[in-house]
Amino acid sequence: MPVLSENLLFFILAGLTIFSGLMVILQSNPIFCALALAMTMISIAGIFASLGAWFVAGVQLIVYAGAVMVLFVMVLMLFDLKDEVRAFSRGIVSGFVKIASVGVIGGVVTAAIWMSAETVFPTTPSGLQVSATQSTKQLADLLFKKYIFSFEAMGALLLIIAIGAVALSRIQGGTHADR
Amino acid sequence: MGKDVFEVTVNILKMFVIFLMMVQAVPILVWLERRGSAFIQNRLGPNRIGPLGLLQLLADAVKFLFKQSFVPEKSVAPLYYFAPVMALIPGALAFNSIPLSIPINIQPFEMAGQTWGPYTFAFQGYDLGIGIVFILGISSLAVYGLMMAGWGSSNKYSLMGAVRATAQAISYELALSLSLVGILMVYGTFSFREIVDIQTGPLTFKAFGGEHIVSWLPNWGIFFQPLGALIFFAATFAEANRLPFDLPEAEGELVAGFHTEYAGFNLLLFYIGEYGHMMVASALLATFYFGGYSFPGLNPADVLTYMQSVTGGANSASILTAVVFHLVLLAKVAIFLWIFIHVRWTLPRFRYDHLMSLGWKTMLPWALANACFTAIWMWLGHR
Amino acid sequence: MSPVVAPATASSLLPVIILAVIVVAFGLVIVFGTSLLGPKRTVKSKAQMMPYECGIPGTETNDTKISIKFYLTAILFILFDIEIIFMYPWAIKFLDSIKEGMGGYMLATMGVFVLLFVIGLIWEVKSKALDWK
Repeated sequence: MPVLSENLLFFILAGLTIFSGLMVILQSNPIFCALALAMTMISIAGIFASLGAWFVAGVQLIVYAGAVMVLFVMVLMLFDLKDEVRAFSRGIVSGFVKIASVGVIGGVVTAAIWMSAETVFPTTPSGLQVSATQSTKQLADLLFKKYIFSFEAMGALLLIIAIGAVALSRIQGGTHADR
Repeated sequence: MGKDVFEVTVNILKMFVIFLMMVQAVPILVWLERRGSAFIQNRLGPNRIGPLGLLQLLADAVKFLFKQSFVPEKSVAPLYYFAPVMALIPGALAFNSIPLSIPINIQPFEMAGQTWGPYTFAFQGYDLGIGIVFILGISSLAVYGLMMAGWGSSNKYSLMGAVRATAQAISYELALSLSLVGILMVYGTFSFREIVDIQTGPLTFKAFGGEHIVSWLPNWGIFFQPLGALIFFAATFAEANRLPFDLPEAEGELVAGFHTEYAGFNLLLFYIGEYGHMMVASALLATFYFGGYSFPGLNPADVLTYMQSVTGGANSASILTAVVFHLVLLAKVAIFLWIFIHVRWTLPRFRYDHLMSLGWKTMLPWALANACFTAIWMWLGHR
Repeated sequence: MSPVVAPATASSLLPVIILAVIVVAFGLVIVFGTSLLGPKRTVKSKAQMMPYECGIPGTETNDTKISIKFYLTAILFILFDIEIIFMYPWAIKFLDSIKEGMGGYMLATMGVFVLLFVIGLIWEVKSKALDWK
C-alpha cells in the first residue's frame, strides 16, 4: 500500500507539474502564464514533500509560490497587457518558438524520466522515516556547521539585493525623484 | 492514509466533516457578528426570524441560493469564477492540519464477517508533522484568490482593493512568521501535537541557573512569549483583512474592495474564506500560546477512566473523552473569535500609510527583538 | 500524554491532495450549481452587466497604473521572507544546541545574520523606502 500510494502520488504531482509547466508556455495571456507557473511551484513543493523533504517543500511554498510568484502576478496584473497578448498570440515566429519550446521541454522531461527510472522505482523501499522536525534539525546541522560561510554570505547577498532594489526604485522617474 | 478500507474511508470522511464544520460555523459567526455589533451599538440586530433571530441565517442562505448569477461584461470569466473557490482552499487546508482533540482509540470489532483491527484516529484532518511551516505556506497562497478576484472582475475598485490586500497581507506575513521564531525556539518542534503536549502540567522554566516551577499556573506559551503572542494576534487581523486592517474593502473609498462585482453564493464563498482565516488564526493562537485542547488539571487518562465508568464501553469512552477535549479547544477558539468581532466594532480603521508603517517599522522590529531576546534568555537560562 | 501518532511519511501528503480536490469540487458545485437555481434572463440588462462604478461607462479596465511602492514592497517582502525562513531551522535546532554545549556558537552564527538583517531594515527606513506619502 505505501509503495503504491507513493508512486501514485509521484505520478499525480509530476503530471500536474508538467501540465502546468506546459500551460506556462502555451497560454497567450501572461496572467494565465503566471498563474500556471505558480501552480508549477506548488506541485514542485508537493514533490519535495513526497520525497520526505518537508521543510524544503514548505520553503518552496512560502518563498516561491507565496512571494516570488505573487510579485510576478502583481506586476503583470498592473501592466497594460493588450499589446503583449496580441504580439504573443499570433505570428509564425511565436508559433515556431512555442512548438520548439514544447519540443525541448518534452525532450528534457522524457530524458529525465528515462534516466531517473532507477530512483523512482527503487528496488528496496526508501528508509526515510524520520519526522519533519528531525529532518529539519539535520538540515540545520549541515547549514549552520558545515556550510556556515555560504549561509552568512547569502545573508550579505540578500542585504545587497535589498539595497540595490531600493536604489533602483529611486532613480529618475521613481517616486523619490524629487529628493 | 490507513491500512484497510475502513480506516481510509474514515480518514477521508473525517477531513470532509472538519471542512464542513468550518463552513457551517460561518453562518453562526455572521449571526454573532450582527447581533454582537447591534449589542455594542445599542441596537437590536436581526431578531425577527426564529428564536433570537437564529433562523435569519437560513433565510439569508436561501436568498443567496436564488440570486441571479452572471459574469459582468469585460471581466475574465475563468478568473472571475475560480477566485471564490481559490479563496476557500487555504482556510480549509490549514484548518484540517490543526489537532482539534486527543486521538480516538477504537478497539477491534466485527463487521461484515471480518475482524477490523484496532485503530487510532487523530482528531484532525492530517498530521503532517511540519504543522507551522505548512500553515504559513498554505496561507501565503490566500493572496491568489484576492488577486484573481480583483483582476478578473475588471473593475477599478476591485483591482485597487486586491492590490491593497496583497501589499497588506505580505507586509504583515513578515511580522507573523517572525513572531513564530520565538515559539519554535521555546518548543523546538514543528508539530502541533508535540507543542500541545509540552504545554501540559504546571509552569516550568529555567532561569538564573536553576529550574523553577509555578504550580498555580499552566505551562502555556503565553508566559514564555507574551510579546510574540501579541504580535501574532495583531498580524492575523491584518491577514484576515478584518477591521482595523480592512483597507482592501474600505467601503467609503472602494465600495467593497476585491469582491465588489460578486453577488450571491460566490460572495458567500469569500466570507467563508475570511471567517475560515479567523478560525484558523484563533485555533493557532490557542495551540501556540494557550495550551491547545489541553486544560489545566484535566488529565486525559482520568477523563477516560471516568467516561469508562459512566458508559462502560471502551470505544464510546474514548470518543467521549476526545469530545470533551474538543470542547475545551472550541471554548478557547470561541473566546478569540469574540475578540475578533469585538475589536471590529470598537476600533476605527487605519490610514494606509499608518498601516504600512505599523507593519514594517513597528511590528517587524518588535518581532525581531522578541526573537533575539528569547534566544539570549534561553541561552542564559539553559547554559 | 497522548499516544504518539506515526511520523509523517511521504504518502501522508495524499490526504492534503484529496482534501484540496474535495474543496475545489465543493466550490465549483456551489459556484455553478447556484447559477442553475437563480433566475435566468435571456435579455441581458446593459446596466446590470456594467462594472459597478459611478454609472459613467468606464474608459479603462485592467491596466490601471499603480504606485511603484507596491512593487518595492513586494520585492522587499521576498528578501525579508527568505531571511526569516532561514531562521526556522536555526530556531528548531537552538534548544538542542544549547544542550550539546553549542549554544554560544549558534547564537553567534545567527547574530551575524540578524545583524545583516537589521542593517537592511535600517537602510530601508532611512532611505524612506517604507514611507507611503
